[in-house]
Amino acid sequence: MIKFDHVTKRYPASDDVLKNVSMNIDAGEFVFVTGHSGAGKSTLLKLIAAIERPTSGTVLIANQNISKLSESAIPFMRRRFGLIFQDHKLLYDRNCFENVILPLHINGITGLDAAKRVRAALDKVGLLNKEKAMPITLSGGEQQRLAIARAVVSRPSVLIADEPTGNLDASYATDIMSIFQAFNQVGVTVIMATHDALNRYAMEKRVLHLDHGVLNQSEQK
Amino acid sequence: MNTHIQALKLVLARMRQKMLSTFMISLVIAVALCIPALFYIGVNHLATFSNQLQSETEMSIFLKLDTDQTAINALKESLANNEAIKSVKFVSKEEAWQQLKAKVETNDLEKNPLPDAFFIQSKSAEPAALEALKSSLSELPNVEQVLLNTEWVKRLSALLALGKQIILLVAGLLAVALLVIISNTVRMQIVTQKDEIIVSKLMGATNGFIRTPFLYAGMLYGLFGGILAILMLISMMWLFNLSIAQISSLYHSDFSLPIYDNALFIKIILFAIAIGWLGSYLAVTRAISSIKIN
Repeated sequence: MIKFDHVTKRYPASDDVLKNVSMNIDAGEFVFVTGHSGAGKSTLLKLIAAIERPTSGTVLIANQNISKLSESAIPFMRRRFGLIFQDHKLLYDRNCFENVILPLHINGITGLDAAKRVRAALDKVGLLNKEKAMPITLSGGEQQRLAIARAVVSRPSVLIADEPTGNLDASYATDIMSIFQAFNQVGVTVIMATHDALNRYAMEKRVLHLDHGVLNQSEQK
Repeated sequence: MNTHIQALKLVLARMRQKMLSTFMISLVIAVALCIPALFYIGVNHLATFSNQLQSETEMSIFLKLDTDQTAINALKESLANNEAIKSVKFVSKEEAWQQLKAKVETNDLEKNPLPDAFFIQSKSAEPAALEALKSSLSELPNVEQVLLNTEWVKRLSALLALGKQIILLVAGLLAVALLVIISNTVRMQIVTQKDEIIVSKLMGATNGFIRTPFLYAGMLYGLFGGILAILMLISMMWLFNLSIAQISSLYHSDFSLPIYDNALFIKIILFAIAIGWLGSYLAVTRAISSIKIN
């Protein structure tokens, strides 16, 4: 599903952020990306989500070479992914319902169908009673759950989460992790970056560990 | 199609939230549209007026003050027999005096200062023929002065032609100003909605999806500005007609501006919408390429 072949990423005026990374993620996997901050976790996720292109090497997503995709094809590639960020990236000028419906509008889904799917997504993360609330009135954990609802509402096949529990206390974090678990169980590929080893305490998942841009190919535990 | 309705709804909701600033921008656009439109209406109306006058062929022949009745009769006969003249009307100095007295208080004047006069219509409206007739009439005995009433009209229409060119220039300059105003407004909106644009791009929004609401915003500004401009024009013309009515009644004229010029109104609105679209297109295209998500 996702295949990196000798991928190197360098930003202008910096060292290589990723060095010669090769790896493979199958559909339906739950994969952790770990490493100290600045190890290249976010860059790896951005390459997967077609936000960045590799400096050298090839990134294949669903057998398509990201480097060779045209600028106009990129948005359609991105719609395969649900993205979740540490800082949520919610839009604070609109309520929860309107935040979650945005990806559906981008996909050209409107009207009753869209409203149903928004409520289903809010229900999955336990925020159905908050659809009219403004995001700023939610707690940190609720905001992250809202971001998850927004990421899954268009039913992407891959969820990419960059430190989704980074700012949350332990009980919220457990909450969020179980939501991701649930999506993985129904077949969604989940790729999660974290610097916090606790997050995978109860799970036996594959780990991609990055150390200064070098990937230590993980063992299946 | 759904996307467009969605975008339009979004833009209208935003404008409703910021009613005052939307109104201000529309007002600026309206004023910028009003100025050339008002000039256009004025010059255009004067032009039709002067064309009407130009086709008139009336000439006034004023006689010397000491002309006696036999000389007048002789002149009347020679004018009536002139092949180039269609009709002759004689107004004696007494008649003219009575008419003047009826209109104006003339107690200061003890003696009638007016000459006898003939008002004639030429058969030909050709300027050259009129000119020839005028000089032949001037040479008749007892004729003090012959006035061709259309000479000032010619000068006026030359001035009006110049006026039209100036209007085009002014309209062009104001169109550039409008373009800058609208594209600046849209650019400011883009800046305030930068987060939304970034998030949308991350979720796989195409440039078209991002651009559409801003294009609608620009076109709506143009539409509102155009409608406002038309309301302003209508009320200004109405006021103008009200004040001109008094003056024209003094001149026995029914001169007034037409209030509803639908062709002009449609042109103003279409022009404003087009400028709005272009202004926001320029702004949003530049902004989309400058907003980076990585």
